[in-house]
Parts: sequence; structure tokens; C-alpha cells
Amino acid sequence: MAVAHVPPAGTWYGATLKEWVFTTDHKKIGMLYFITSLVFFIVAGLFGLIIRFEQTAPGIQLPGMFGQEGTDLYNYILTGHGAVMLLWWAVNVWMGGFANFLVPLMIGARDVAFPRLNAFSYWSFFGASLLVLLTLIPGNWIKMLWTGYAPYSMNDNAGPTSLYVLIVLLYSISSTGGSVNMITTIVSMRAKGIGWTKLNLFVHAIMAASLIQLFGVPSLMGSVILLFTDKYLGTNFYNPLLGGDPLLYQHLLWFYSHPVVYVMILPAFGVFSEVISTMSRKPIFGYISMALAIYAIAFVGFETWVHHMFVSGVPDWLRVLFSYTTLFVGVPTGIKIFNWVATLHRAAIRYNTPMLYTFGGILMFLIGGLTGIPNAMVSIDLGISDSLFIVGHFHYVLGMALTFGAFSGIYYWFPKVTGRMYSEGLGKLSFWLMLIGANIMFFFQMYIGMANGMPRRYPDYPPIPEWVQLMQIQTVGALIMTVAILLSLINWIKSLKGPKAEDNPWGSPSLEWSMTTTPVGPNNFKRYPVEVPEDWHPYAYFKGYHAHV
Amino acid sequence: MRKLPFLLLLAGIAMAKEDVLAYPRAFWENSVTVWFWVAVAIYIIVAVPSIYFMIKYRYRPKENEEGAHIEGNTAIEIVWTVIPTIIVLFLGTYSFANFVKQRNAPEGALEIKVTAFMWGWEFEYPNGKKVYTFFNQVSDPEKNMYLMPEKIDDSAKAYVPAGKPVKVYCTSRDVIHSFFVHEARVTEDCVPGRITKMWFQFNKPGEYWVFCREYCGTWHSRMASVLKVVPQEEFDKWLGGQAGQQAQPEQVQQPAQPVQQ
Repeated sequence: MAVAHVPPAGTWYGATLKEWVFTTDHKKIGMLYFITSLVFFIVAGLFGLIIRFEQTAPGIQLPGMFGQEGTDLYNYILTGHGAVMLLWWAVNVWMGGFANFLVPLMIGARDVAFPRLNAFSYWSFFGASLLVLLTLIPGNWIKMLWTGYAPYSMNDNAGPTSLYVLIVLLYSISSTGGSVNMITTIVSMRAKGIGWTKLNLFVHAIMAASLIQLFGVPSLMGSVILLFTDKYLGTNFYNPLLGGDPLLYQHLLWFYSHPVVYVMILPAFGVFSEVISTMSRKPIFGYISMALAIYAIAFVGFETWVHHMFVSGVPDWLRVLFSYTTLFVGVPTGIKIFNWVATLHRAAIRYNTPMLYTFGGILMFLIGGLTGIPNAMVSIDLGISDSLFIVGHFHYVLGMALTFGAFSGIYYWFPKVTGRMYSEGLGKLSFWLMLIGANIMFFFQMYIGMANGMPRRYPDYPPIPEWVQLMQIQTVGALIMTVAILLSLINWIKSLKGPKAEDNPWGSPSLEWSMTTTPVGPNNFKRYPVEVPEDWHPYAYFKGYHAHV
Repeated sequence: MRKLPFLLLLAGIAMAKEDVLAYPRAFWENSVTVWFWVAVAIYIIVAVPSIYFMIKYRYRPKENEEGAHIEGNTAIEIVWTVIPTIIVLFLGTYSFANFVKQRNAPEGALEIKVTAFMWGWEFEYPNGKKVYTFFNQVSDPEKNMYLMPEKIDDSAKAYVPAGKPVKVYCTSRDVIHSFFVHEARVTEDCVPGRITKMWFQFNKPGEYWVFCREYCGTWHSRMASVLKVVPQEEFDKWLGGQAGQQAQPEQVQQPAQPVQQ
């Protein structure tokens, strides 16, 4: 038995600029990821606002510039909004930001398994971020959307293919490194006494998401490498004139890009589970089935990609087959939702900002899930494929459930990370505005897609009065959302100088709260080796491992 | 919005079998109606207890400070695994049944070949007659806005007979497009190197939009056309007997070259 050793006092962030740049500490790298994600979230959010303004009225309002049409600018902004929101915000706020900071703290580890690989992953991601900024130069506008469908993405109209390929490759390198790191850390660096059934559900979610990344990313890399060789080196994988097949690209792309939506949403589920258990003072209902459901979603998620291609010309039998597999994702997802609701039964619910965001996130995810069903039903999909319905649907899932989850997580761990308490009033106001604004925005987006059949990716549309009205309502929602997000940003910046927080303000038995100082010390835990008693569990509220608050 | 709410519309159409505007929209609406009510039911079943719990079990100092010690209940968890599985199988099979009708054109359909390109459509009729719609024909260049169908030149409209199924074979000359018959709520991608099929039928004469639904670049949002649905006799007159190509309008741009070779 090693002698218990007490690590140096201090805070995790106190260091010079040089130390931040060359750091291999999981907390600093996590924060670098998080800040990068947040900055890109704001930029992509502004892009989203430009899209809203363009669509508010029929006709093309964006000016043509630099020899390109207004619609080209729109297409670039649409590409930027999609790619950045998905890969920079939705994936990396979790896999880079939250996972790096929290996973070692939750499993009682000093750092991740490969700290230098972790730094390398971040700096690859940073390189990709710089390349994304390069696309702001008009000649570099990438207009092939984040999906980059061949053969359009090889067309000169689509912008520089090579830049797109390079960005995706750097993102892939970073993701692979990150996922290997997380898997190894979770498998081999758990503290003594923390078995697989004693992991936080957030850790299970990161494990499942990392497995998806590890198995899926090669397919994405393959798809863009073939795109590159097709355009520049004269191969013809995707060129039908020379015997290639454009659908090959879609299969390779969606084999990764469908499962990746679970990389985005599973960690949000993890946050919901953490927050709902903590704020209810109650163990999560059905822990084992909650954990298994995470892995089931990750597994089934790999068998559903063709639902993105239901009208792409694949054979009818294939569509029906994938219709069933896609619908089956609803079963484990349903288990999660029912178990969250059951956790509330006979709870003692504390209503604070993280809890509100979690409730909102779960109820919005329910809408997102139920509106996902028609996209999986082949019969309905024929009529709504590539309409604004699907855009509204995935904004319920990603724009609301995921972003609510991320905001919930930011508020929840804010005291642990910064050592300060956020402003509760401002946080709640931000939540209610966000809930109202986002629902106005995305409900009517779905409505116009289903009831009016409006196609997506349209800066211009026929001036049908009802369409114009529905578009204007959405813009009102988007403006309310903007105010809500700004309030949260102000809250976070202002609260860096807020009142000092306690070590365990929520009274959670989970390791990152109960065994660290606030803010976390440079060496994570108050004492080493980290050990937990036999009957400890991250959600063991009834055994007295949590402080009474 | 003065239009009837969407729900009532759907329920109404599902009940009134006659007076169908378009196929396969009728089958599509049938599936949508079933999904909609299932989704509403599930939402109520989940949201009502959640909100009830949220209010009833809120934290109250001295009265309700700690949650109960409940870790799970295997029986109830099995119930809410099995029931969703049954619902999912039902929805999948229901949509499968409609899908078969939506995909397979009835006998005796008029067959049209559609070729998509950046940015416009070519329609070819069985006798060889061709109609072109280019993106700049559906908009007003001065206002930089869409024209409504009645303002669009008739030579740019594809005529189809009312009350008769139309089967479309679609392909593309450059990148992937998608032929979306708006009021018939059916779409199918037009993929270069492949021929895809779909069908639709309009029962009421009129002018109906066709949109491109697969992103294809600068003028994707103006890659529209208009189907002019006319009575059979008028259609026959318009189609004429002779094969031959309609002159292309002069303002036409050459379609961009898809892949540099």
C-alpha cells in the first residue's frame, strides 16, 4: 500500500501562458478544447442568424460579392453553420472539452492515459480550426455543405475541395487520438474499487461515443481521401462517367456521419443523468439498463445509415430494412427517457439552472425523438426528405437537447472548474428565453417542412404568403434564442468574479465533487491513492456519501 | 395563418377517401396521420407524468429534503422495453405497406424521362417532345424573386394529363439533384449514371411546383419547374403527334461541366 500523499495546493489553471501552450494536463487541454468550441459555437450561431435573415423574406437579400452571387455567400454560410456546429460544437464540446476535463476526475485518475497524445489531438484540432478560419476568404468559400456529396463536391462551383478534405482529415486525426485516449483511460485507469457498474453514466456515454469515433472515423477519412484522389489524381471512385458511383460516397460518409450523431447526443444524455440524479437526491432509476441502453444505441447506430439515403436511388428492399433498424433506435432511447422520468418519482427536486436545462433538454429530446420517427418511416420520408421538417427535427435534437445538455453541464460544473458560483437568476432567465425562442424557431421549421413541403437549403422560395409568415415567425424565435445565449455568455463571464463556491455545492457523492477541492487542484484529488468504499456508487445518495445541502 | 390547422387537415383527409388531390400524397398523408397520433399519445404519456412529478416532488425544506431510495424495478423496465418494440414494429410495417403503393406505379402510366442539370430540368415525352425549364425562367430578374406559376412562360412548363398516373424516370447530367413533385409529396434523387423511378398522379387540373431537393450549388433554390396538369384531350393536343425537339430559349446558359477531366 502506497503512502497516502497530499498533492500541492493551488488551482488547476494557475500557470503561465507558456505552460498553457505546452501543457499535457487533461484539465488545461479540456479547457482549450472547450474555449475553441465555444468561440466557434458563437461564430456558427451568427452564421445561423444570417441564414434566418436571408430566409425571412422571399428573394435574395445577401449581396453578390467578389464575383460570386448572393446565393453563393448563402451556401458558404450554410456550409459553415452546419460543419462548425456539428464538428466543432456538438462533437468537440463533449469529446474535447467535457470528456477531457471530467472523465479522469470521475474515475479517480491523475490524468488521461496518453497526455502527450492528448495535446497532439488538441493541436490537430486547432490546426483544423485555423483552416476553417481560412475559408472566410472569399476565394476559399467552401459551398459543398458539411456532407460534401460527390460529385458536386468535385465541381468548381463547390469551392476548394482540397481545403475541405484537409479540414476533415485534421478533424479525423484529432478525433481518433482523442477517442483512443478516452477508451484507454476508462478501461485501465479507474481507481481502486470503481468497477464497470460504478462508473458515472457520463463516463459510459463518453466510452460509447469514443468507440463510435474509433470505428467510424476511418470511414469518413476514406470517403474524403477518395474524393481528393478523384478530383486531383484522376481516379474515378465517384465519377459515373468513368464507371464510379456517387452513392459510394454517401455510404462511406453516412457510415460515420450517422453514428456521429450519437457521439453528440450520448454525452448530453450523460449530463442529464448526472444532473437529474444530483438535483433529485436520488439514485438514477435502473442504472444498469441506462448504461446498457447507451451501448445499445451506439451499436444499433451503426446499422441505420441508409436512412439518410432513402430517396437516393438505393433499392427499395434496402430502404425497408433500414427503416426497421432505424426505428429500433427508439427502443433503447425510450428506456432512457422512461428511466429519467421514473427517477423523478418520489424525488426531492432542486430547481436551479442546471436542473432546468436538463428538464428542458429531456422534454425537447422527446419531441426530437418522436419527430425522428417519420424520417425513419420510408413511406413518410418520400414526402419530407430534404425538407425543412428534417432540419427542424435535428435542431430539436442537436440545437436544443444537445445544447441544453451542454449548457446544463456548463452551469453544473461551473463551480468546480472556476471555483465561483454563477448567477442563478440570470441563468434561469436565460433558460426560459431559450426554451421559448428555440421552440418557436424549430417548431415552425418542422411545420413548414411537413405541412407546406418546403425544401431545405433554399435562400429563395416562391412568395407564397403562408410560407413567408411561417419564415417570419421562425426569425422571431431565433432572435429570442440569441438573447438567451447572450445572457448565458454574460453570466459565465461575469461569474468568473462571482461568490466563491464550496467544494461540493450540490452534495454529490460522485468523485469529481466529493474528493476534490474547488476549484480542482493541479493534481486533481485531495489525496492519493484514490480509493472508494465497497458500497460507494456515484449515485449513492441514501448511504450518506454526499454532503447534506 | 388562416388556413385550417394541420391536424384537422390530416384527420379530414384520412377520413374522406374521395376527392384526393394527388397520389402518392394520399398514401403519404395516411402514414403521417398514423405517426402523428402515435407521437402525440407517447408525448402525453411521458410529459404528463414528468410534469406532475416535477411539481409534486419538488424540494421543500424540512418536508421533502431527500429522495427515496429506489434503484430500479426490473418488471416495469421490461414493460417499457417491450411496448416500444411493438409500437416500432407496427409503425415500420404500416409505413412499409404504404411505401409499396407509393413506389409502384399503376398500369398504364404515362412515362416521362427527366434529366436534371445545373440548373434546370429536361422533360422528354414518349413521342420525343422535349420541354426545358431553366432556373432563370422561374424568376423575375428585376425583383430578383420567384415568379408565381401563372406568370411563368407556358413553354417552360411540363404538361401532364389529369387523372392519369405519370411515371418518371430520372437521371442527371452532372451532379445529384432530386425531383420533388411538391403537391404530390414525392421525391427521388436524380443521380448521374443511374436511372431512378417514381410516379405521381394529379386529379385536378392546375399548376403545381416541382423543386430540386438535393443541394446542387448556386441556383439550387431556383431549380424549380411547373407541372401544368390539364385534361387528357388538351394534353393530347399539346403533345402533338410528331417527334421533335422544342427550341431552347435563348437566355439559356450552358450547364456547367460537372467534373474536370
